[in-house]
Order: sequence, then C-alpha cells, then structure tokens
Amino acid sequence: MIPFLSITKKLKSLIISTFLVIIMISGLQLKAQTPEAEKNFQACKVCHNISGPKLIGPSLSGILERRDKAWIYKFVRNSNEVIQSGDAYAMKLFEENNKIPMPPHNLTDAQIDDIIAYINNGGKVAAEYANAAATEKVSAEDQMAAEQTAQDQKLADMKRDANRNFGTPFYITIAILLLVLVDLFVTKIIKAKFVHTVIILISLFIIGEITYKEAAALGRQQFYQPDQPIWFSHKVHAGQNQINCLYCHSGAEESRYAGIPANNVCLNCHSQVRQGKITGTVEIDKIYKAVETGKPVEWIKVHNLPDHVFFSHAQHVKAGKLDCVQCHGDLKNVDVVMQVENLSMGWCIECHRKTEVQFADNKYFEAYKDLHEKVKNGEVKKVTSEMIGGTDCMKCHY
Amino acid sequence: MEKKYFKSLEELTIDFQAENSNRPVGDKQSLLEMQKEVKSSDASRRDFLKLFGFTVASAAIVSSCQQPVRKAIPFLIQPENIIPGIANYYASSFFDGIDYCSILVKVRDGRPIKIEGNKLSSVTSGGTNARTQASVLGLYDNARYRNPKSSGSDTSWEDVDNHIASKLSSIKSKGGKVVVVSPTIISPSTQAAINEFLTAYPGSTHIQYDTLSSSAILKANEKTFGKAFIPSYQFDKAELIVSINADFLGTWLSPIEYSKQFMKNRRLTEGQRKMSRLISFEGGVSLTGSNADKRIQIRPSEEKLVIANLYNELKKLAGQTGFDVAAASVDVKELATELWSKKGNSLVVSGNDDTDAQLMVNGINQLLENYGSSIITDVHLNIRKGIDDQMDALVVEMNAGKVDGIILYDVNPAYDYPQKDQFINGLKKVGLSISTSGLADESAILATYICPDNHYLESWNDSEIKTGFYSLTQPAIRPIFTTRQAQVSLLKWAGKNVDFRQYVQNYWDSILFAKSTGYLTATAFWNEKLHDGIFESGEKVNLPQAFVYTAVDQALSNVKSSTKTDSIELSLYVNTSVGTGKHANNPWLQELPDPVSKVTWDNYLAVSPALAEQLGLEDEQLVKVNNLITIPVVLQPGQEKNTVSIALGYGRENAGIPANGVGQNAFVLMNLSGGEKRYWLNDISIEKVAGEFKIARTQTHHSMEGRAIIRETTLEEYLTDPSSGNEAHKEILPHLTSLYEQRKVDGLNWAMSIDLNACTGCNACVVACSAENNVPVVGKDQVLMRRDMHWIRIDRYYSGDVNNPEFLRQPVMCQHCDNAPCENVCPVAATTHSNEGLNQMAYNRCIGTRYCNNNCPYKVRRFNYFDFTGADTFQGNKKDEVEMTTDLRRLVLNPDVTIRAKGVIEKCSMCVQRIQEKKLVAKSEERQLFDGEIMPACGQACPTEAIVFGNLNDEHSKVAINFVNERTYHLLEELHTLPSVGYLTKVKNTIG
Repeated sequence: MIPFLSITKKLKSLIISTFLVIIMISGLQLKAQTPEAEKNFQACKVCHNISGPKLIGPSLSGILERRDKAWIYKFVRNSNEVIQSGDAYAMKLFEENNKIPMPPHNLTDAQIDDIIAYINNGGKVAAEYANAAATEKVSAEDQMAAEQTAQDQKLADMKRDANRNFGTPFYITIAILLLVLVDLFVTKIIKAKFVHTVIILISLFIIGEITYKEAAALGRQQFYQPDQPIWFSHKVHAGQNQINCLYCHSGAEESRYAGIPANNVCLNCHSQVRQGKITGTVEIDKIYKAVETGKPVEWIKVHNLPDHVFFSHAQHVKAGKLDCVQCHGDLKNVDVVMQVENLSMGWCIECHRKTEVQFADNKYFEAYKDLHEKVKNGEVKKVTSEMIGGTDCMKCHY
Repeated sequence: MEKKYFKSLEELTIDFQAENSNRPVGDKQSLLEMQKEVKSSDASRRDFLKLFGFTVASAAIVSSCQQPVRKAIPFLIQPENIIPGIANYYASSFFDGIDYCSILVKVRDGRPIKIEGNKLSSVTSGGTNARTQASVLGLYDNARYRNPKSSGSDTSWEDVDNHIASKLSSIKSKGGKVVVVSPTIISPSTQAAINEFLTAYPGSTHIQYDTLSSSAILKANEKTFGKAFIPSYQFDKAELIVSINADFLGTWLSPIEYSKQFMKNRRLTEGQRKMSRLISFEGGVSLTGSNADKRIQIRPSEEKLVIANLYNELKKLAGQTGFDVAAASVDVKELATELWSKKGNSLVVSGNDDTDAQLMVNGINQLLENYGSSIITDVHLNIRKGIDDQMDALVVEMNAGKVDGIILYDVNPAYDYPQKDQFINGLKKVGLSISTSGLADESAILATYICPDNHYLESWNDSEIKTGFYSLTQPAIRPIFTTRQAQVSLLKWAGKNVDFRQYVQNYWDSILFAKSTGYLTATAFWNEKLHDGIFESGEKVNLPQAFVYTAVDQALSNVKSSTKTDSIELSLYVNTSVGTGKHANNPWLQELPDPVSKVTWDNYLAVSPALAEQLGLEDEQLVKVNNLITIPVVLQPGQEKNTVSIALGYGRENAGIPANGVGQNAFVLMNLSGGEKRYWLNDISIEKVAGEFKIARTQTHHSMEGRAIIRETTLEEYLTDPSSGNEAHKEILPHLTSLYEQRKVDGLNWAMSIDLNACTGCNACVVACSAENNVPVVGKDQVLMRRDMHWIRIDRYYSGDVNNPEFLRQPVMCQHCDNAPCENVCPVAATTHSNEGLNQMAYNRCIGTRYCNNNCPYKVRRFNYFDFTGADTFQGNKKDEVEMTTDLRRLVLNPDVTIRAKGVIEKCSMCVQRIQEKKLVAKSEERQLFDGEIMPACGQACPTEAIVFGNLNDEHSKVAINFVNERTYHLLEELHTLPSVGYLTKVKNTIG
C-alpha cells in the first residue's frame, strides 16, 4: 500500500495514468512532469528526498548537474550492473550509502525523464495537470473535511458543556441566599416568610447540585488530550491507511492492556515510509532516534483508570466482541487522541446493564442452565452482561 | 515548656508501656492506647500549626484537582512471547542447601512475583512449602549486597578478581591450601565448577557443611551397605509408619515429597477406605508428631534405647536371639508385634543424630523387609551429604594456621557453627577469605572479599535431587544488582571465562542427553527439558554390598540405659518457617505462626505445663538456659515433661531488618560430640531471670468453647458409619429455616472443600496467600495487638490431657457464606454477595466501621489499622517496621490485586483474580471451564492437596462430590450462615 495517499486519490491517479498510457500509445509526445511522474516517484521517495536530508540514498535535487541522462537510465534500471561494470562514480555511491544497492526499476526512458522533470520542479506536477487533478479531488475531500469539522464541532461542544464554568451561577446563588438570610433576620423587607423559605430551599438545591457535579468530576479526565512526544495521527494510520487497530494494539485481544506498540512495530512500515505528508521527516525520525539511543518513546497515557479498577481489554475486545470505537470514540477521524467518554463507574455500569452477551453462541455460557431455560421459554429476551454478574463489585474491584 | 493535654485522668495516670495482654480487646484502655498511637501525646502549638498547614495544603491540592501525568512507555523492541499484562511461567528449581522443590516462577512484566509447584516433577509433584513460597521475597531483600566488596568497601568485579587472582596465585606458588566450604552440592554443574577450581589450585579441598546434618544416617548406611548415602523413602508404600523424632512432614530431609506420599494413602475420598497409621515418638512437639495417630512422649536421650528395644523385640519375633537391653520407659513390645504383622508394608525412620541409633533403625527396616518396598536403596537422596567432623577438622586447621585461603560459598558458620567463636578466630588466621553470600550475613562481614552471588531466581543451575531425578534452574529476571553467580566467580578464579548457561547446557548435552530417549538432537532435548524444568532418567546406583548386620548388632550391644531420668533435656529443632536462619530476613516467614505454638517473630523455650509448675515458671517469663542464652518461656502442651525445646535459626546479628535481634541464637547451645552435631543436650540448667518478654501469638485460645468446630472420628468408626463424628450435621440441617427465600446461584457457584484429614498444618498456604494477595506484614507489635493480617489462618486445637493432648488443625479463611452476617451490617454496601456465590469486598467503598468484622462469626476479616504496604497517599498513615515498603520489596507485589490503604477491611476473596483470569481464557476459547482449572493460591501451594476448589453447580466437580460426602460439614453451621467452604471430618487411624 502506498502510504499517505487516500484511496480516492489513488483511484484518481490510476484513472489519469491509464488515460495517459492511451495517449502514449497513440504516439503523442509526452509532456514533462505529468501526474504519472508523481506516482512513479513514490517508489523513489522511500529512499530519496528531493531536497533535504539524505535518507537511505542521496537527495535527488540537481541530479542532472551531477550525472548525464544515459548514466541515470542505466543506473535506475539496474544499479548493480553499473556498479559491477567498474563505474567509479557508481562504486563511490555504493560505498557512501552503506553498500545498500538500489533495487532495479523497470521504467522507460520517457518515464525517467518525466520523473527528473518532476524532481526539478521541486516535486510538483505541472500546473496544467495539477489543476485538472485538483478539481476532481475537491468534492470528496470537501465532504471529508465537512465530516471532520462536524466531528470536531461536536467534540468541542461536548467539551465546552462538560467544562462549563458553574462558578458564576454558584456565586450568584450564594449571594441571593445571603441576601435572603439577611432580610429574614435583619432588614425584614419582605413580610411573607414563605418567600424566604422558598428562595432558601431553591438556592440550597442549586448550590448542592453544582457542588455534586463539580465533586463528581474530580479525578475524571474527560476530554483530556495531552500533547504526545510524537505527533502521531490516528486519522492517517487508522483512517486513511485503514490499518487495523489490533495491528498496533495487539495486546487488546489477549491482555488487560491494549498496549502501545513497540518501536519495532512502527518500523515494520516506517523502515520504508520515511516521510509523512503532514510532518515530513521530523516526527518519523523520532522513531529512529529512539532506536538509536535505546530510549523508548515516553507516551502520555490518555485513558487512565484508578488503581483499584481492573479493566481488561481482552474481556471486552475478544470475549465481548466490542468495537474499539465504543469507548475510544472514532479515532479514524481524529489526529491526536482525546478521552471522549468520562470513564466513570456509572458509565461502565450503564453499558454493562444494556450490553447483550453472546449467550447462545459462546459455549462458555452453557453453565448457566436456568438462564438458558428462561431464554428458551421467552421469559428473557436478551441476556445482558448484568444478568451474568456484570455489575458485581468483584468483577472489576479486587 | 511543652504543655500536656489530656482528656481524662486515666490517660494521665495509666502507664501505657505496662502489660496489656490481660485486657480484653476493645476496652477503654486499649481504645485510649489506639488514640495515643495515632496522635502525639504532647501536641504543641507547633503541631497544631503543622496540622493546620497540612490541611490547607491538602485541600488546595485536592481542589486544584490536577491529575498527574501518567506515562506509558512501550518496549523498544517487543520481545517474543511477552505480552504486557500477561504472566509468563518459567520452570526452575529451588534449593537452598536444606529444602528442594521443583517450581514454576510466575513472572509479570519482568518481575518474578510468585512461586508455584511444578506438577511434572515426580519428586515434589506440584507441592511447595512455606520457605519455597517465600523465597521470591528473598530476591527483593533489602539486605542483598549490591556490589562486590573488598575489606568492607564497594568495588568493581574487575578489581576484586585481580586482587583475588594474585592472592590465589601466590598461595598456589607456595603450595598453600584453599578450602571451599559449601552446603551440600546437588548440582552436577556446580560440582564440576568447584572441581575445576580445585584442579586449578592443587592442594585445595572442598568441604560440604550442612547446618542440618544427616551425618548419622550416612555413616550407618556406610556400615550396613558399604556406601554413605541417604535412601529414597516411600511413605506411600507403608501402612504403618513409626517416626522416632523424624519430622518428615516438616523439616526432615524432603518434607514436600514425603507429605505428598504420606497423604496418598490417608485420603478417604474417591472411594478409598484404607489409611496408613503413623506412630510418633518425640519429646518436643513437631508437625509430624502433632499429625500422628498415636504420639508417644520420650526424652531425646531415650530415643536410642527405644530404638534398641524395638530392634531387640523384632529380632525375637524373627526368631533370632535377642540381646539383654535395658528397658526403655515405654514398652515397645506391642509396637513390635504390630510392625511384624505389617512386614514389608511398614517404615521406621528416625531423626536421631547418633550413628548407632541409625544403624539399629537400618536393622529394624531390614528385619521388617522394608528395603525394596518402602525404602529404595538404589535411588539416593542427594541432600545433606555433609559429614560433620570434616568441618570440625577444618576449624582446628584454621586455628593452627594451616589454611591459606577459604571460600565461603553459601554458608554462614560464623552464625550457625556450634563453636562459632573458634571459627571466627580461625578465620582471622586465614590469609585470604572470600564470601560469596548474596545476602548480608555474619560470616560475610568477616571475610576480606565479598563476591555476592545472584539470587537463585537470577541464576542458571541444575540439580540432581535424587539419583536420576534432574532439574534445571533458570533465571527469571536479569540480576538486579551488580552480582555474579558464585560458580562463574570460581571458574573465573580458576582462569576460565564462562557463560554459566553454556556450562550447564554443555553438561546436559554431553552427559544427560546420552541418558535420554526419544530426542533426535541435544538441542531438542535441552529445549524441552528447559521448558519442563525436569528430566528423570530412571538410572540407578548399585550398592557395593548387601545388608550387613554386624555393625547393627554391635550397636545394639553398645546401648546403655540412660542413667539420669529426672534431669531436664533440651531438644534443638528447626521450625517450618525460618528454618536454619538462612531465610531469617524474610518478613513473610518471620510473621508466619508456628504450626504448633502459633508464635510469630520469636523463638522461645517450650516447656510442658507440668515442668513449669514444678520449676515455678510462667508463660513469657525470661530464663537463662545453660548460662548462655536468655529466652522467654512458652508453655507448650504436649511437650514431654522433662524435655524443653528451642528453635534454631533465630538471633541473627547481621542479616538486616527485620531479622536482626529477633529471637536468640540457639546454635551456641549445640554440642559437638563424637564427630556429629548433637541436636539435643542432657542435664541443662534453667535459671529464672527477672523480667518477662512479650510473645506475639496469633492464637491464644486453645479450646473450641464447647462448639463442634472440628469434627473428628476414628477409622474404625468411619468404616462402620462414614458420617460418624459428623452427627451434628444431620441434626442441624432440618432446623435451618429462614423467612427469606433461599437465593439460587445459576451458572457458577464457587465452593471450597478442605479435607482436615489431609491438612498437616505446614503453612505453605499462608505464605502463598500472602504472596498472591499482597497481604501485608504488620510486625511483632501489631501481632501482639491481634492485628495480624493473614487471610488464611491455621487454627490449632488441643484435646484431652493438657500434658499429653491430641492436636487438631483447621485452616480457616473467609467462608463466603450465602447468608453472610457481614453483608447485612455494612452501612455502605462495601461487602455484598456476587452472583457466583462469593462474598465480595470493595475496598474503595469501605469506610472502616468494622461492623462486618464484629458480625463475622469466623473472625476472618482483617482491618488495616495502618498503611502497611505504602498504598496511602498520606505518608503519616504508614507503618512499616519491617521495611516492606521499600521500592525493592514492593517489586514483589502482585499487580492484579489492589493494595489496601489504611482504614479498610480486607479478607479472603477466594483469589477472585485467578477466577476472573481463567474465566476469560475459557470465554475467549469459547468453551466451558473445566474442573480444577481454577485453583486459589492456597490450594495450589498445598503439598497434600487438602484444598479442593470448584463449581458446586457442576455435579461432577470434585468439590460437589465432596460436598455430598457424609464427612462434610460447615463451620458453625447451626448459625445458618450457609458457608461455601466445607470441611471433611478428621479421621484418626486407631486400628493397631
């Protein structure tokens, strides 16, 4: 899979390149820096920057100043042959780049010319093509952006609601309460005592309500979204590139902890993908740095539960067959992870009360003979987690 | 001047240091005392300001509600087979020079946190004992040496090696002598390493020095079979077992193995109707004696005479001419006849330290044709191979200046050698002294160089516990400190740089692979054996000669009657917790109640009530024994009248906190006569000393207050009526009615069945429970205030004559009542009933009213008077007298169990974390749980499989089958609490 390209984009470049091939066959002279060059350059991009730091191989800007085209054609198609032929420059290159040979690429002269033009243009497709492609992209990207904005808006709303400052109403209520008390005992302006009583009761209720809300939110971290040491985007990985959550968080099916992938898991892809679309090489380089220095990346834990709560991912993901989205929100559209649920005990219990278990399918539940009988009789329509003890204390606290 | 504030006159006048043992708990004084503990008695203005400031500060912290930033740090490179949060188990072996056990080490996220028995081993078969269970805490001992030391100061391995190498080479060049002193080596690879060292330094020798010696058995076998060895005993092959002061269930040779064998044919479940019979002769009260069907009190000096008489009687029964032997105080004619009738199906063992006595025991077993059936002579037990007089000779040589270098490998003679002063003097005359002790000890500080050994959980090793029974030790963690395996050190000094794993593997590849069948390559063999932990080759040793009677008869004719009959004799023994003192710095073991006296944190002089009356001694009174040690008296019913006992292994001086100063070192009383260590003394003096000493006992009660808490019967009655002794159960059942409808548990209904007949009271379960459930250690002062925290306790009851009672034991933990009295009284519903029949405890809901504790008829709930494990946010709540909250010690905590803060109740959860874990496995695999899959820590540790756990709703489960057994009853069932724990009546075999 070619990373950092959305599916739609890929499809589009495919259509365009097919179109171009037809044109080529019809014998027309190919113009430089077509979108095809951009597509072909993906293979080069793995090891080469256009400008900027050296990756596995050298950066390619100004390549024509260094070598002639004939040499480039030969070297791109089969670098090994050139090296073995005793070409001094090729041998020097090979030595300089840790003796990693460049893999052969089956490209025509015209395609290579096209790529060189693309490189000389600073990695941009010629204006005429770019415009054409851009218009096609617009509608789909717009839609996605709109979705994203809606999502962001929703989250922001929730965040605002939850963090709404109750301070002002709280102080106003206290002030009213005091005023009424003063009037009751000192000034005695209002003659009807029941007015005092009603106002006192109402203000006490409001004060109580606000205090309870504030107190209950103590220690909870809803909408916690810390800056991570690496600007890692779930949107790019899980959304655009459709990487399964369990590929990186493999512990979720077996252990209490979903786990944060070790650097070697990152490197499975990032040994090839050296440059990100949004952040360039800056963020990805941090993975290499960690490996080089032997110091693992210190991520900041977003979803925290108190020590006396035992939550098992395996129980929910493997046995309960829940989707990650249910607790973590739609991370496919979010760059930086935020805790969207409040993770309170009430929230847990609520779900345990409603969620149906795989009662009929999983042989484990065969031990519940009475319950099976009731399901058969139609006494029980669906078996929830609560019915098999999902709300007992010692299911989570021990 | 500071002012004194007081609330009442009493508070002023009462001297709180004065004794409080006579006061019932909960009276006004103890309440006052509790207050005093919490608040400073002289609260000053400054204290007030401090408190005020603290309150403001904490309020500010709480209100700012800043959550701490928690980090999640992944592996750099994820190791294969390690999933964070999932425990890995590694097969290994525990051997500390005394006990052997084949084990599995549970490693959670890189930390070994629990030891479990290895079921593949046919020696220990999955059983463990208290010390094995506790050994994991030794890994995190604060007193471990962190670096090699040279003359007391830290140095590097390179430095130490250079110094030692140059000194050794100068000794070598002048032809000097280096002695390696070690406990018995059962590891072939370690032995090979020592041998390489000895070869590199000609003239050097290796001495095996055992704190607990079996010298006498070795010498006796040498005389009768022509080879010094300890045979393999088969207690399951014997219908009648006679033990003459051999505590084979507790401390004698291989107790885990023997407990398993012994119980194999004493279990009356699964249709078995036969039971072996155990007769025990002893002076003190041992675990074996208290489990015997018949216990006969004799003084240690009489043991030999009793053995002689028994042998003589058997000779007569065999038709041989008997000798004229002085009569013993007990008549053994009847016993001889009983043994004779069980010829070939009996076993006589003795822990006596006299070669002549052991010779006659050999003679008895030979006459009874036990060799070949209950005693296997071609498979040898490899522990305790040390011959005592070798060490004695060494000490003499050291004092004569004939030893140039000494390497103390895992031994501590400066503490446990009977004449330790001579050893210490001798050590000063040795030019080069090296100790490889990993833990601080009395000998190591005297040595010039300390080259700390790894803990066994950090080491590679192998062992051959019995002929052909091999096992491997593998590291479960990288060495925590800058330590190095002693074997590697020895080889290094011998000029070889080796990887000891490779060294062990080479031995297995070259020697053991040849003995195996069914493996194509040595690597396949090694890999599988490393996984299993054990290899049993089935090889045998051939003895040079058949049984020779000459020495036996010679021994018999040597026997003289003991002259003095009224003198007081002292028996020195090791208990099941601290043992020889090697593990004295282990708080779990120190707080473990003695299975007989229930004493924690001390050793004491056990005196029979009759003798105490005669000498005018009182409980907890200080006395001076033989003018050497001052020790408190504990009245011990069952003690032979003129025999007093003291446990060895206490009184460490340089072992660290908590061991230092706990108890008295009784090794100094020991005699060395005839080349063998004497574990008893004749004619001792007991002199009253002013003062008394508080003894922390977890059970001061000895009676059942007329309630049928333990139900017992005899085999005879059981065979006619299986429900005998348990008649009350049937009587009570019809009366159990309730206004409420009995709730029915659907699906899983957890229950536990405990076979009182199988429980020996060894305490392995108590330590296993502490390790599994992060049960705090509270220290002696708190135990004195009855605040011990063990979730499972083993109650011990006496019955009959106070001077010669019978002993009964009963493990008690939370009974998980279906009508739980505790649940009804909790004002905050912190303790409720689960849908799986468990009585749940939610610590974070508990507000500490202790109503539940008060309402529990079984007294199994424990209250955290302080924060003992460092769980609290507030430092002031912490009470840690035994250094259990250091970062190092806390590494042993089980991350699957919450550590409890101050002010909450806790209790047995039936290891709910294990239940949840296995349930999840079954759910994930979409299958039903199978019986026995879930095992609480106590049941798993039990060497006799006395504890059975399972689903009561599954009628084929072991626990359901036990629950319909006629022997099953529930504790205080008349209260209609409907416990989920059932007990099977104790059956004594009186048929003889």
